Amino acid sequence: MDAHVAQLQMQYRNYILSLYQQGFLDDQFTELKSLQDDGSPDFVAEVLSLFFDDCVKLVGNMARALDQIGTVDFCQVGANVHQLKGSSSSVGAKRVKGLCINFKELCEAKNYEGCVRCLQQVDIEYKTLKAKLQDMFNLEKQIVQAGGIVPQVDIN
Amino acid sequence: MTVEQGIEAVDQFPVGMRVLAVDDDHTCLRILETLLHRCQYHVTTTDKAQTALELSRENKNKFDLVISDVDMPDMDGFKLLELVGLEMDLPVIKLSSHSDPKYVMKGVKHGACDYLLKPVRIEELKNIWQHVVRKSKFKKMKSVVTNGESEGNSDQNGVRANRKRKDPLEEEDEEEEEQQERGNEKKPRVIWTREMHNKFLAAVDHVGIKNAVPKKILELMDVDNLTRDNVASHLQKFRLALKKITNEAKQQVNMAAANSHFMQMSSLKGLGGFHHHSPIPLGSSQFHGGAATTRHYPSNRTFAGMFPHVSSSLPRNLHNDGGYMLQGTPFPPLENLHINSNNKAFPSFASQQSSLLVAPSLVLEGHQQSSSPSYSPHLEINKRLEDWSNNIPQSNVHSEPDALGWNMFGNSTNQTYFCRDTDFGSSSAAHADSLQMKQQHENIFSPMTVAQLLRSSSANEGLFMGQQKLEDGFMASDAGSLDDIVNSMMTQQEQSSRVLGRRLGLGGIITHSKHAYDMRICVFFFLLVSMRVFLFRHKSLVLSIFWLSSSFVREP
Repeated sequence: MDAHVAQLQMQYRNYILSLYQQGFLDDQFTELKSLQDDGSPDFVAEVLSLFFDDCVKLVGNMARALDQIGTVDFCQVGANVHQLKGSSSSVGAKRVKGLCINFKELCEAKNYEGCVRCLQQVDIEYKTLKAKLQDMFNLEKQIVQAGGIVPQVDIN
Repeated sequence: MTVEQGIEAVDQFPVGMRVLAVDDDHTCLRILETLLHRCQYHVTTTDKAQTALELSRENKNKFDLVISDVDMPDMDGFKLLELVGLEMDLPVIKLSSHSDPKYVMKGVKHGACDYLLKPVRIEELKNIWQHVVRKSKFKKMKSVVTNGESEGNSDQNGVRANRKRKDPLEEEDEEEEEQQERGNEKKPRVIWTREMHNKFLAAVDHVGIKNAVPKKILELMDVDNLTRDNVASHLQKFRLALKKITNEAKQQVNMAAANSHFMQMSSLKGLGGFHHHSPIPLGSSQFHGGAATTRHYPSNRTFAGMFPHVSSSLPRNLHNDGGYMLQGTPFPPLENLHINSNNKAFPSFASQQSSLLVAPSLVLEGHQQSSSPSYSPHLEINKRLEDWSNNIPQSNVHSEPDALGWNMFGNSTNQTYFCRDTDFGSSSAAHADSLQMKQQHENIFSPMTVAQLLRSSSANEGLFMGQQKLEDGFMASDAGSLDDIVNSMMTQQEQSSRVLGRRLGLGGIITHSKHAYDMRICVFFFLLVSMRVFLFRHKSLVLSIFWLSSSFVREP
């Protein structure tokens, strides 16, 4: 049982580290994790679900704006990108944030092709991250179910 | 909030500080809320600016601080900032992922106490309570200043006591603020008439500027409808004006002192720093521009010579001549010269110039302090330098790098020619020349830098120029004379370089001329300065002295 827990914990630790190393997450995520305590045990999960909901909404807005070929309101797209950038930086979604920075420049340049391509990338990226974090939460659940404590992963 | 709760909050401040957080981004809002809770603040959140405004209006004492995002769909974040600041007088912190300084500036201009960047960190939030304290302290200070002015309003005090209180500190501030406002409404605007101002001045004279206290002045003035506050503000303006004048004067004196100081340091770098912001080291290579550079000397040296030495003795009105008095630094005009000429040596020239300016100061060390602060603006100097810089391209034609570079040091004939070509008479030049000769013979080898020699030589000439000009009641206030000088300098230097070269040999020129010349110059200047008072009284004597000295200098 303990071995199983230990194994799960090891798996969890490695997984988290890989997420950081692959650039999916950054320090802000660590900060977020540190805010989670006994008083708010699901804080990270809560924030992330809010984040992904925002992603869906914003990407949808941008897709709609870009769909209006010929009368694309780049300001609107830019505003959405800006918001997405803010959220992603707040949760520590590093790759999404990076894409948003590029996206913003493309919007300012009113590069339609570029914007469309970037939006597709953003879409893929946030969905990937969502899947990965879902796996992470599942691991946590498994650990807890196995009677262990979710380890604090030290990112250095 | 009851009084007790209010008091409690104050005791534990910043714990329990009430914050209103506004952000349309739910993710960020949630995070912010948690962070603020972690800092032990009391948090209210909303994602609509309008709601935030309503919440804060509903009860002005409800919140201590507002944190608001910049980009919000229903209202511009800056607008909200203004409204909250104006109506509720609450400290507002802006939050944004815009790191562009433009936005930060906008925030500050609209009255934000602080501007935080997303993602916001808990460390930053831990200190936001300072804005609340600062604001309340500011309010308190403002009210204290005018509190003494306003009369007691006991009935209004009673009314205020019934109001809900945020906390004792802030409530007190609000009271005083209101008193102050009422006080301001009552006071009519006071216009300071000439008579009133004269009375004011008389009163200030009577007490002495250092002891000038508004209360005393008010009593002495004995004018109706004048409050202490009016006098205080008038006194402040008066003091500021005085300060401005004395600072300008001090600057002049300090420049003179600094000049001598730098000379003592024997470091051009210091000079560079003084006159420029980037010191320009003087290297031998820079002397290659020597010919060109020396051509600059005349007018600058004039000013330099004039600056520390003559000004003190001359009557002030003389200084208002077309800009012979050196005001501030001459380097801006010199930089114009850089543009005008293609000579690469100009940057070095600038530093040399600074050294030149300093040179006379060294000699006149003891007399620096007496230089008068009333220098006329150097605008005319600039003009003249520019006119004169137009002659500089000629220098390129004449420049023979090394030889000409040494002209400055050992140009006995140089000086002579120079002076002869001007209206000054030969005496001044001759005097300089004689000193130079003496120096050559003295053969003193002191560890002086080339720059120093350069300085001293040009300073010498400059001083002569200055002396003569002043005493003759400024000759040539126009560019024309300067042009003459420049031209004459050019020819002199060519000749003197040839002369020196033949006489002393390459090595000899440097060693002999360097130290001997410098010494002579120093001695000469010292004598000149010490005798200046006498000389000015007996102007006729000056000419004869110069003539004598020049003949002495001319002798090898």
